[in-house]
Amino acid sequence: MQFHVRYRNTQGTLMRILNAASKRGLDIPAVHAEPAERDHQVTLALDVNQKQVGQLYREWYSIADVIHVGSGAAHTQTWTGHHPPAGVAIEEARSAARA
Amino acid sequence: MLKGADIVLQCLRAEGVDLVFGYPGGAIMPLYDALDGSGVRHVLTRHEQGAVFAAEGYARVTGKVGVAMATSGPGATNLVTGIADAKMDSVPLVCITGQVRSALIGTDAFQETDVFGVTLSLTKWSRLVRTIDEIPEVIAEGFYWARSGRPGPVVIDIPTDMLKAKKEFSGPVKFTPHARPADAKADGGFTDTIVAMLQQSSKPVALVGAGAKLSEAIPDLRRLLDHLNIPTFATVHGLGAVEPEAPYYLGMVGMHGTRAANTALHETDLLLVLGARLDDRVTGDPTRFAPHAKIVHFEIDPAQLDRVRPCDLPVIGNLADTIPAFQAELRQHTLPDFSGWRAVACGPERAELDPRGLAQPTIRFLDELFSRLPENSVIIADVGQHQMWAAQRYRSSSPRGFITSGGLGSMGFALPAAVGVQLAKPDTCVLCVSGDGGFQMNIQELATVHRLGLPVKMVIIDNKYLGMVRQWQQLFYERNYAETDLSDNPDFVEIAKAYKIHSFRMKEDAMREFPVSQETGDQIDRFLSSPQAELLVFDCAPEANVFPMVPAGAALSEMLLEEEPTQ
Repeated sequence: MQFHVRYRNTQGTLMRILNAASKRGLDIPAVHAEPAERDHQVTLALDVNQKQVGQLYREWYSIADVIHVGSGAAHTQTWTGHHPPAGVAIEEARSAARA
Repeated sequence: MLKGADIVLQCLRAEGVDLVFGYPGGAIMPLYDALDGSGVRHVLTRHEQGAVFAAEGYARVTGKVGVAMATSGPGATNLVTGIADAKMDSVPLVCITGQVRSALIGTDAFQETDVFGVTLSLTKWSRLVRTIDEIPEVIAEGFYWARSGRPGPVVIDIPTDMLKAKKEFSGPVKFTPHARPADAKADGGFTDTIVAMLQQSSKPVALVGAGAKLSEAIPDLRRLLDHLNIPTFATVHGLGAVEPEAPYYLGMVGMHGTRAANTALHETDLLLVLGARLDDRVTGDPTRFAPHAKIVHFEIDPAQLDRVRPCDLPVIGNLADTIPAFQAELRQHTLPDFSGWRAVACGPERAELDPRGLAQPTIRFLDELFSRLPENSVIIADVGQHQMWAAQRYRSSSPRGFITSGGLGSMGFALPAAVGVQLAKPDTCVLCVSGDGGFQMNIQELATVHRLGLPVKMVIIDNKYLGMVRQWQQLFYERNYAETDLSDNPDFVEIAKAYKIHSFRMKEDAMREFPVSQETGDQIDRFLSSPQAELLVFDCAPEANVFPMVPAGAALSEMLLEEEPTQ
């Protein structure tokens, strides 16, 4: 699965993004980081399960200079599940909780 | 023109810092040279780990940012355990480390360590300062991240030439974070959902963690719990957040939690988690944790959600905001009658088997000790059996009155942390409870206690074993007590005397009477009321165990309540 993490290129931010994966014992077969407009973006390929997707999203968002986290096709499906990150519309959480 | 070291200290003052803990060395000497007259008091510990734990103790009891300083290389690496400890327990901490001069970085210079790299995964934020111009911004930003959201540790590594260099200084700066869509908070719409979940529930419970203390939301929390009036329990860091006399309060939950708390948690159909991250010591086997329950998780840090067990409704935000919003909604509704469930969960059938600890002299001792403490005393527990006994017997309603290394479980934490607590609360009775193993891990801080004339009351529960490991060896490794025997311990009373600290020993037999004799009671009272530091060494039975206990990997419902008789 591909993830795209947008971040300000401050000291250590890219390492923290990678560490969120490596500390879970995940292999990182491909990484590509580059400037993206005024910020930077890193694209990671990771073999993850559904639970890890949510954990990674939330952990990346907890890094000070991460701006946005996105992913490939599976992303939309993951995000409308019932474990949203901060900022998710409350209606989604509410309907999930009532499910 | 000011030196970088002077700028650092002025920026610390601007962040409200007037006390730091540390240990000098080569690369950080310019900062020490500038301390005099800076308005920042420095407390010299006898090891950098002592400094960082003392800073943690200060931060945990005050809610302010604790600051530790160390030199490069070994000085910085000696801080690492404390940094990891602060990360696990959400302690606001800023560590300032000296670094070799800029031109030598990356050359494996004398006392060079990549402390930025070493601590990257342990810190919330960190910087290696590259120019003197950065110093004000770096310090302002570091303090912002240390205290914002879920508090945590920050490392600021400053090469020695940056501390010596001079520049025009126009004053400290303020840091304003960039706004991100992900930082949006719960909008309040969650409240009617929780009410609806409560109305569908027949066995709701509340689990309280450290979040309520960190958010300064204790009054709101207590009003909410009184309103809900459902069985409630706390994590080890949540102790003191709930009034212990509240009729719905069941004590501590988890591996060494009470029978009532763990049983209610296993049976509940709706779990309200209030500022706890649900680590494995709380949940036991996550696949069998609260197996019948929907979970509502109030949490300030989204990264803590779903780590061990998925929740059904996350409520992201500061408890000081989310609890009042929830309670405002609650007032507009009538909840079902939970009295039947409460009567079962809080009933006598689930009470402690030995509430007075009559079968366990160490528990009796802690009860005697705690019951004689002045109001608002602070207990600092180290790590091991004594920690769990102390947590089980803690009965105070003082939210920051019980301090321990919970997440990382760092032996050696208590004594230096007590130094930080006593400095923060000079008029408060500070009781440090350690085991014989942990006490020796930072025993050198007796010198700090003596030097500063701190009236810390220290207790060693001396069972001449690494007791908690030995207990596991007894229960799960067929009594193979591999390398846990400490029967050749030094004489702690004599050691304390060498540090000019009054010390005495109490035998376990003193606790066989109930109530204790007048003489024993007076001895404890004199110990607690002494204006000076005191060390009490309590002889504990070598094979005393902590119960209840949930074996690692078992469900909370599978707790062992007492020792099985040996054949």
